[in-house]
Amino acid sequence: MPDIFDAYFAQQIINGISLGLVYALVAIGFTLIFGILNVVNFAHGEIYTVGAFAGLLLIVGAAPPLLAVVLFVMAVGAAAGVGLERLAFRPIRRFSDEASLKSRAMREATLLSSLAVSIVAREVMAHVFGGEMRIIPQAALLQDVITVGPLTLTNGNLIIFGASVVMLGGLQFMLYRTRVGLSIRAVSNNVLGARHVGIDTNRTIVATFAIGSSLGAAAGILVGLYDGNIYPYMGFAPGIKAFVAMVMGGLSSIPGAVICALLLGISESVATDFLSSGWKDLIAYGLLVVTLIFFPQGLFGHGRERV
Amino acid sequence: MAVNASKPLLRQLGLLAVLFGAIPGGLALMGGGYPFQIGITALIFVTLAVSLNLVTGTAGLLSLGHAGFFGIGAYAAALAATKLHWPFLLTLPFAGLVAAAVGVVVALPTMRLISIYFAVATLGVGEMIHVSLLNWVSFTRGPMGIRSIPPIEVLGFDLSGVVGGYYVAATVAALAIFAVHRLTHSYYGNALRSLREDDQCSAAMGLNPVRLKVQAFAVSCAIAGMAGAVYAHTASFISPDSFRFEESILILAMVVVGGLGSVPGAIIGAILLIVLPELLRGIGDFRMIAVGTFMFLSIMFLPKGLLGEASAISLARRQLGAAWRGDIGAGWK
Repeated sequence: MPDIFDAYFAQQIINGISLGLVYALVAIGFTLIFGILNVVNFAHGEIYTVGAFAGLLLIVGAAPPLLAVVLFVMAVGAAAGVGLERLAFRPIRRFSDEASLKSRAMREATLLSSLAVSIVAREVMAHVFGGEMRIIPQAALLQDVITVGPLTLTNGNLIIFGASVVMLGGLQFMLYRTRVGLSIRAVSNNVLGARHVGIDTNRTIVATFAIGSSLGAAAGILVGLYDGNIYPYMGFAPGIKAFVAMVMGGLSSIPGAVICALLLGISESVATDFLSSGWKDLIAYGLLVVTLIFFPQGLFGHGRERV
Repeated sequence: MAVNASKPLLRQLGLLAVLFGAIPGGLALMGGGYPFQIGITALIFVTLAVSLNLVTGTAGLLSLGHAGFFGIGAYAAALAATKLHWPFLLTLPFAGLVAAAVGVVVALPTMRLISIYFAVATLGVGEMIHVSLLNWVSFTRGPMGIRSIPPIEVLGFDLSGVVGGYYVAATVAALAIFAVHRLTHSYYGNALRSLREDDQCSAAMGLNPVRLKVQAFAVSCAIAGMAGAVYAHTASFISPDSFRFEESILILAMVVVGGLGSVPGAIIGAILLIVLPELLRGIGDFRMIAVGTFMFLSIMFLPKGLLGEASAISLARRQLGAAWRGDIGAGWK
């Protein structure tokens, strides 16, 4: 009896890690953008959906290998992110002085403009692709069963795990070892200071959007192929969960967001042992509120500002 | 002086005449039933937008969970009416009280948070409310919702039809607008505005930020709860789907389109965002796209909203006789 329980438990942990890594990929986009602009990008969930649909179209049209699909989706996601920045963020951005950086009205306007763009994007997708779930060609699904001892994995688990680790590693390398990454970190640390040393802030922000959005879009297609359904409203739930992970991680800490996303994924997955599946969403929100009340800076945040 | 004092009164009566006479008259001319239904929805959302405006516009606390309190009010009224057979005159205040009580419980621990942190906390609370409504099947009947909520009957008058529902919704909306108008356009409202601008500074001036914020939040939740009661009784069927994050965002969008901190703006925003999709019914599936586009354009080109706070306040002062006129001395009103 305990053996079976352990195997089942381990199975849930593995599922939870896959789920958590997906949340992590989405959360990184949120975190990068929040770190640099101090605003929440509400359209990030739609980037995820755009990625899933772009991948689906490519698979239906050309059936290329998975790596090509993921790379294509990341490119589409980056383009979507750049477009989003141009449309919803740049027109209301004024990086001229301290006051405009801290202006609440500016932040709220940005938040709402990204929200409006996300509504339009979602409805356009619902109109173009129809509100129903789309059927994915069987060959492209990541649901081949792999049995390891008592555990049942799918190749989707492994691919999500591998792809996420590669992308997270690549992101760390980029942030700490390349010029773009250096300028992203400089701008998120201090916009005016970065400008004074000659960093092109606009270009850096565009780069941030491209990177964050390509990760989010990649997560979208991986999850779509793993779960076997792609639909216009699929971005909402992971968007919210990733948002929770970002806040728990301390808003602008990437490792924090990744750890919290994993924590969230694993606890949701394990919670299905104890709760009916409907209540599992309560875990994420409960953790969020508890974190905010007891650790208002997030679990990994720095004492940057009053919360 | 007497002439000056009666002018705002006349204007207020005129507005009431429009709300209770001209609009229902126009709706009846448009063919009764369905236009009245839209009128009821618009008035419920006017109530919600005005209540959110008190918290988000005036006190500066961005709330992303307002639909949750709307839902609590609706469920409180629906359960009281179906299980306990309470009349509408009891369920309406009961819904307000329950929503306000939950609001205070939520507000006490979260009021120390500022800006985006508070917004995220309310988002979490709103979603928790939705998940609870959806999954607490033994109490709320979960996704099946609550059916056959008794129609409104006040003191023996049968107000079950759409016209009766319109008048009830209009009365509640008018009372909510009046309450928020008096709270906003007063020294109390100024205190809330000072919290929005800088709560540490206003604490240094002798105000108690936490108390003021909890009060404003509780009042706002109570009004949202009462809007929920009106919704439950006029729709006669409620399910958790009506109280999701999207509805919170819709209410917030109304306040923003109208102008944060502006009571008339919130009213205009609510009416626009409810009536516009109906007017655009002709273009069918594109109407949500049109609403999103409208919201986007209004943020881009009218960042202060259709009727910004400053002009709304001077309008309220000059035309509607709001408090702090020069001839009345200083003090809390």
